[in-house]
Amino acid sequence: MTQPVTIIMIEDDEGHARLIERNIRRSGVNNEIIPFANGTDAVRHLFGADGSGLVHKGRALLILLDLNLPDMSGIDILKQIKENNHLKASPVVVLTTTDDSQEIKRCYELGCNVYITKPVNYENFANAIRQLGLFFSVIQVPAAAS
Amino acid sequence: MTADAHRRRAFWQILLFTAGLLVLTWISAGSVYLVNKARQDSKWVIHTIEVENQVNALLLEIRRAESSARGYLLTLGPEFLSDHDAAMATIPQALDKLTRQIGDNPAQRASIAKLREAIQARLEQFSREMDLVKRGEPDSAAALLRQAAASNSTDAIREVAASMTAEEERLLSLRSANADRSQTLAASLTGIGSGLVVVLALLSTWLVRRSAGVRDDAEARLRDANTNLEATVDERTADLREANNEIQRFAYIVSHDLRSPLVNIMGFTSELEELGRDIFRRIGSLARAPVDGPPVESADVVLDGADKQLAEDFSEALGFIKSSIGKMDRLISAILDLTREGRREFEPVRIDTRELIEAIAATVAHQAAEARAEIRVGELPDIVSDRLALEQIFSNLIDNAIKYLKAGVPGAITIRGRTKFGYAIFEVTDNGRGIDPKDHQRIFDLFRRAGTQDKPGQGIGLAHVRALVRRLGGTMSVSSELNVGSTFTVTLPIKWNASNRNEEQR
Repeated sequence: MTQPVTIIMIEDDEGHARLIERNIRRSGVNNEIIPFANGTDAVRHLFGADGSGLVHKGRALLILLDLNLPDMSGIDILKQIKENNHLKASPVVVLTTTDDSQEIKRCYELGCNVYITKPVNYENFANAIRQLGLFFSVIQVPAAAS
Repeated sequence: MTADAHRRRAFWQILLFTAGLLVLTWISAGSVYLVNKARQDSKWVIHTIEVENQVNALLLEIRRAESSARGYLLTLGPEFLSDHDAAMATIPQALDKLTRQIGDNPAQRASIAKLREAIQARLEQFSREMDLVKRGEPDSAAALLRQAAASNSTDAIREVAASMTAEEERLLSLRSANADRSQTLAASLTGIGSGLVVVLALLSTWLVRRSAGVRDDAEARLRDANTNLEATVDERTADLREANNEIQRFAYIVSHDLRSPLVNIMGFTSELEELGRDIFRRIGSLARAPVDGPPVESADVVLDGADKQLAEDFSEALGFIKSSIGKMDRLISAILDLTREGRREFEPVRIDTRELIEAIAATVAHQAAEARAEIRVGELPDIVSDRLALEQIFSNLIDNAIKYLKAGVPGAITIRGRTKFGYAIFEVTDNGRGIDPKDHQRIFDLFRRAGTQDKPGQGIGLAHVRALVRRLGGTMSVSSELNVGSTFTVTLPIKWNASNRNEEQR
């Protein structure tokens, strides 16, 4: 039996967080969403107090990641996740305003699964999120390696 | 080294040169004059000696006449007679010659008159003696001879001749002294002149050497200055690069950070719009609902009166907000594109420019046909440059040319090229609406446009083109007349070298 996927949203802009959540819900995804407004808190939650990531061993996570965070770079978080044995199988969706091709390339090299640029055009934005919702509903999040 | 010192030294050199020339001329003229004078003097010396000679010769002849006369008287030998006749014949000739020679001297002329008189008298005596001898009266002749000896006629001749010789001696010493003086003068003049020339030459040499030294110093200083200048230029260039990079980073970060809140504004405005629709639907259904019954559920509720006005105002306000956000987003995107372009590394490759521009013309053929425009591509020089940048430059210019044609007039767009001093000059000419001269600078500024604003656009194209041209080491300009057409001129180095510009972006 697969356990429900928990969505971890690391997004410093409250407005963006609200819009993302709203559109995810609209697309019919009802999974739990845990929001973090800064990198430090998110990292503590992801890797636990000891920093080993054991807390999430065997749990299905999906991480929504903004690259421009006030206290650290999203790229660093992405790197840490993909280097951690317990977390590296979790899909990471980078959702950010940066549309620099170098940055996108870098994220994919580091193992990001989807890279979405936040468009100012709200319709496009909503569409992107809803498609992401569709993506959530079809992907089979694997249990993390033990 | 001041300009004043320069002038002073040049002045001195010219002065020395002139002085040298003057001295030489003076010496030459002086020498010629003095040599001539010396020659003249020598001639006079020789003349004097000749006169003396002549006087002696005359005396000798008289003596010869006298002694032959005596011999004849004693011996009656015919050889004495012929000798006497020969001497008698020579004497007047010698006397005439002497007279001619001393013609220049009045004192001698007086003497010669006296001499001539004395000689004449003596010669008459000789003839009388000889006549008496020939007639066979030797005694009378001897008496006459004794008388002649007593009358001192021979002595008188000798005296006059002696005085003449003395006069000539005086002249000789005078003239010799003159000649000596002339020669000494010539010699000393030449000596002094040569000395002066040598001194001037030495002075000149010294001056030239000194000025050469000064020049060497100046050259050394110039080299130092050049080295310093290069260092300074490098430093400044580094500063400028740093500043440029700073601006690029700033633009990039600002535009990014501006975009983030813009996503929110746009997002929540759209949410608000949705909300507004819901609210007004609710209001409409409430207004139509019967007083005690449930509200009418209907998809499209028609509002009326004040409610309708409110709904319209509401969506109008949201419409303005959204269109402004859209515009702002486009501007931010433009800045981002520009900064991204500024960060892209250029790669110099050999480009067949004509082929490149014909490819661009082919991609805009549809728009050109719609605008009834014809694009002519002339012979273009091939260059080494960045292909993408070149494509962007020319497609922007050709796009603009098509976009801003005069309504109702078939367009003619020409692309020409030529080379000059290592640069390729491209001209994109159209017969479009033209640009007011006051806007010629403005059109290259970011977000600025000119003329009738009837075409969509952000005012980015030309700013972008100019930035690209500059990065490729070129320049661009426009010449245009309103309602006649425009020519955009792009000047690019024929062989662009990546090393000189790409570093600036690092």
